Amino acid sequence: MIFNVQRFSTHDGNGIRTVIFYKGCPLSCWWCSNPESQSFDYSVLYKKKFCKNFGDCILAEKKAISKTKDGIQINRDLIENPEKLKNTCLSKALTISGENKTAAEILVEIEKDILFFGKNGGVTLSGGEPFAQGESLTNLLQLLKEKKINVNVETTLHVKWDKIERHLTLVDTFLADLKHTNKEKFKKYTGGNVSLVMTNMLKLDNSGAKYIIRIPVIPGFNHSEKEMTKMIDFVSSLKNAREINFLPYHTFGVEKYKMLGIPYLMKNTKKTEDDELESYMKYAESKGFRTKIGG
Amino acid sequence: MQTEIKSTQVTQRIANLREKVISSKPSVCTERAKFYTQIYQDNEDQPVIIKRALALEKTLKEMTIFIDDGELIVGNQSSQHRAAPIFPEYAVDWLPNEMDELDKRPGDAFFITDEHKKELNEIAKWWKGKVLWDRGRALMSQELRDLQDSAIIKATGNLTSGDAHIAVDFYKILKIGLKGYLEEIRHYHKKTDRTKLEGVKKDHFYNALSISIKAFQSFIKRFHYLATSMFLLEADEKKSEELKKIAENCAAITENPPTDFYQALQLAYFVQLVLQIESNGHSVSLGRMDQYLFPFYYHDKITGKITEEFASELLENTWIKLLSINKIRPWSHTRFSAGGPLYQNVTIGGQTTEGKDAVNELSFLILDSVGKMKLTQPNLSVRFHKNINQIFMMECMRIIEKGFGMPSFNNDEIVIPGLLNLGVEEEDAMNYSAIGCIEIAVPGKWGYRCTGMSFLNFMRVFLASMYDGLDKQTGKTFCKGTGNFLDFETFDDLYKAWQHQIKFYAKKTIEIDAAVDTALEENVPDILCSAFVDRCIPRGKTIKEGGSKYDFVSGLQVGIANLGNSLAAIKKLVFEEKRISKEQLLHTIETNFEGIEGEKTRQLLLNFAPKYGNDDDYVDILLKDAYLEFIEEIEKYHTTRYNRGPIGCRYYAGTSSISANVPNGAVVPATPDGRKAFTPVAEGSSPSSGTDILGPTAVFKSVAKLPTKKIMGGVLLNQKLSPATIQKDTDKEKLISVIRTFFTDLKGWHVQYNIVSRETLLAAKKNPEKYRDLIVRVAGYSAFFTTLSPDTQDDIIARTEHSLNF
Repeated sequence: MIFNVQRFSTHDGNGIRTVIFYKGCPLSCWWCSNPESQSFDYSVLYKKKFCKNFGDCILAEKKAISKTKDGIQINRDLIENPEKLKNTCLSKALTISGENKTAAEILVEIEKDILFFGKNGGVTLSGGEPFAQGESLTNLLQLLKEKKINVNVETTLHVKWDKIERHLTLVDTFLADLKHTNKEKFKKYTGGNVSLVMTNMLKLDNSGAKYIIRIPVIPGFNHSEKEMTKMIDFVSSLKNAREINFLPYHTFGVEKYKMLGIPYLMKNTKKTEDDELESYMKYAESKGFRTKIGG
Repeated sequence: MQTEIKSTQVTQRIANLREKVISSKPSVCTERAKFYTQIYQDNEDQPVIIKRALALEKTLKEMTIFIDDGELIVGNQSSQHRAAPIFPEYAVDWLPNEMDELDKRPGDAFFITDEHKKELNEIAKWWKGKVLWDRGRALMSQELRDLQDSAIIKATGNLTSGDAHIAVDFYKILKIGLKGYLEEIRHYHKKTDRTKLEGVKKDHFYNALSISIKAFQSFIKRFHYLATSMFLLEADEKKSEELKKIAENCAAITENPPTDFYQALQLAYFVQLVLQIESNGHSVSLGRMDQYLFPFYYHDKITGKITEEFASELLENTWIKLLSINKIRPWSHTRFSAGGPLYQNVTIGGQTTEGKDAVNELSFLILDSVGKMKLTQPNLSVRFHKNINQIFMMECMRIIEKGFGMPSFNNDEIVIPGLLNLGVEEEDAMNYSAIGCIEIAVPGKWGYRCTGMSFLNFMRVFLASMYDGLDKQTGKTFCKGTGNFLDFETFDDLYKAWQHQIKFYAKKTIEIDAAVDTALEENVPDILCSAFVDRCIPRGKTIKEGGSKYDFVSGLQVGIANLGNSLAAIKKLVFEEKRISKEQLLHTIETNFEGIEGEKTRQLLLNFAPKYGNDDDYVDILLKDAYLEFIEEIEKYHTTRYNRGPIGCRYYAGTSSISANVPNGAVVPATPDGRKAFTPVAEGSSPSSGTDILGPTAVFKSVAKLPTKKIMGGVLLNQKLSPATIQKDTDKEKLISVIRTFFTDLKGWHVQYNIVSRETLLAAKKNPEKYRDLIVRVAGYSAFFTTLSPDTQDDIIARTEHSLNF
């Protein structure tokens, strides 16, 4: 399942790219700017500002949706047919995130911008976690290979290695996230197991695949000299790592949490400014890495 | 967002001159009006062309002239900076009526003294019944007058001012000088056969030409005398030297062709200036300045006669001078051209006639000097082609980043084949330039108004096709239709109704244009402008009589995106999915989507039907076909110059409709695309506000599906980008890369960028004082944001902001 096809993306790999966002992620990072990407199922988003109180959603899902004084209340667990809801809200205040598209259908969307990709651009598969998808991912990667479209995959590396391994020859560049090296902290802030990520990173390194390391810089989580040094030192131990991209924390996704009815755990955290990353970049450069802010 | 220029970037002189012009309050100057009135009164027996030559002569010889402290380039249009001269011969009735409101206009206000009001009232009385407006209306049938009054077809600007939308032959002017023109006029005048009707007219024309050129020379000579007396009195040695140089330059170019860059630029500016004293037509353009001035610049540069810094200062001074020229329009027309600039275009880049990249050192210098000035004038256009210098494109991005909407891009890869297709000779096609906003012509060889004939309101026509031809706004049926929407059984019935209506209205725009052109030809012929356009002198004809080598014109079609979106919404929701009944649709648009049911229908129309600008063939192809119905109809007709000399004499389509989307929307009730009554329609060929949700590449794809090769009057695409978008060089490269694809592969016609944040605009709307020189691009040109009407401001704010940062 995918939830977005974003054309003219300029910060997810080289050149101009179309990003395919897959739905479903093994992690649930506190700072996630696309929280609707975490569930493998449909997500129900409600943007109050757009709500015109037509009431059609209440009629469609009587048990789950009820009227409040100035809008609606949704009990997402009780929604019976989220797909049907897609056409219910006329003002698009209530939207359903998630589309089941075949690889061929996704390819049609990708090919619309093929002229803009040029020498460096192409497709970036993102998510969620692309490698947590089933058959359809493999199918799409094969189609893209046939069409000679450059493919980057953004990955948490938080999946069983064989899910990655079987796609190694179909991906041009991996954009692999390294969020932390500490087990407890990683567990607390992402819900995952950091040793899975680090082992997979070593395997990816050994495979000879081309990859770029991406480090999100998150205040309160890893935004400190000590933690960053550890991560960069770990990357230094890899044979084939050449480039590290630093992704500063931002708040563009905060509104989405409200729309999904889930709490945002990083409340009151300020956006990280580019100049806060200087020392990290310098350190990485001293270790021989190319660095960049953003992807 | 920078709102001030950095003083370190420019010399103190330039900073002072710039401040002086931008801080001067627009006002009204009555000198020209007095001179013209007096000459017309004293010479009633003379043919109009002689009257006009004598009036121009009197004006150029007697009007106030001045040289500002520190100026390097001289020449003023009226008695003060930004004081608009009055051109009573075109239209003057409106002036007494609007006089007391001039300084209270919501946009484009003018200051006027009581004394001037009195004078103008007297002048207006004499001109009653004698002006272009009266004549043009008299030449129209009642039907055409009704159509104009209905606001379905608008030609107010065409009957209240001169034509212009033209660039003259600067290559030739700089080559032969004014003396050369007098010789050429004498040569052909001698050959005139005065035994023929044609010969009698030619005789007058040549007499008028020679009076006008000589008057132009006297005008330049007056600056020589003024500078001379000033330098003799000037105590400051450096200033005295500068004034002496001005005096020498003016003396030299009064007669002879310029011998260096400084003189060439001064002469080019003088030509640009007097054309705007002769006529108040706007979009008088400077053509390919980096090409015709380059030989002078190059020579001076290698001989060490000029430094890059001084050349830049001269150019900057010229841009400030261009801004000091002003025009006053009736309110009914001002609404159509927000911000009130004169659209004096300068074009750089492009190719040489041999097809090589024409970017040179001067292209960079012009680009950077315009970037330093951050003014609304000149309107800077860059001709893109597939081999254009990448460093130059990067420099363009840096200027775009400054956020004053320039430069805009025209695309050689579509314009040149389009011109060849029309029958333009290859060498001429390679030499085209932008005119005014985005439209194009071959400088010095093309007649007036490569765009800018009448405006046609597409959505009024579309609504008439739903009501059996009835225009509900006026209650008139101008063209009996093919039935009512309720009786249409298929979408095809509706489409046929559109076909039927649009063909009728297309023809009516041409009938109105023909009446307007006849009035312009007979009442207000331009003389100097004709002198500087190729073939007028050998043929002994003004441009309007068929003097130019080429003659192609276009009107402006407004509401392009709304047409496509309305067709798509009806096709999908009414006929295919049947989610809206025909009755329901009519009821809701007639009641402007009132009530909860109305709003529901509106949301359905907005959110559940394909929208132009999202690369969706469903709507894009519908729009293309519907637009072609209009285009194919106008291709059948000719201009009033047909068979009188020029190549072409044909019409093509155009969408460079400036900010006309606001007043055009103000006369259209609710439409089936979900647009509310009397709100703006979509601008140019851009998508409707807020409906392009897939980003710029999807917009490019949609726009490129229009029949761009047949829309030679301009396929205007305005894209707004937030400032953060192109801060980094890598982002600039990416933007260049999409532009390259749009132009080289998709054959897009034009694009321009408004780099400005929403917050800035909102703040500027709230506190105009603090944002006095905040500039925005309004569909084809730049304007001071604070001079725009609130409606136009809101429209700009509402347009989708694409961001590269997500």
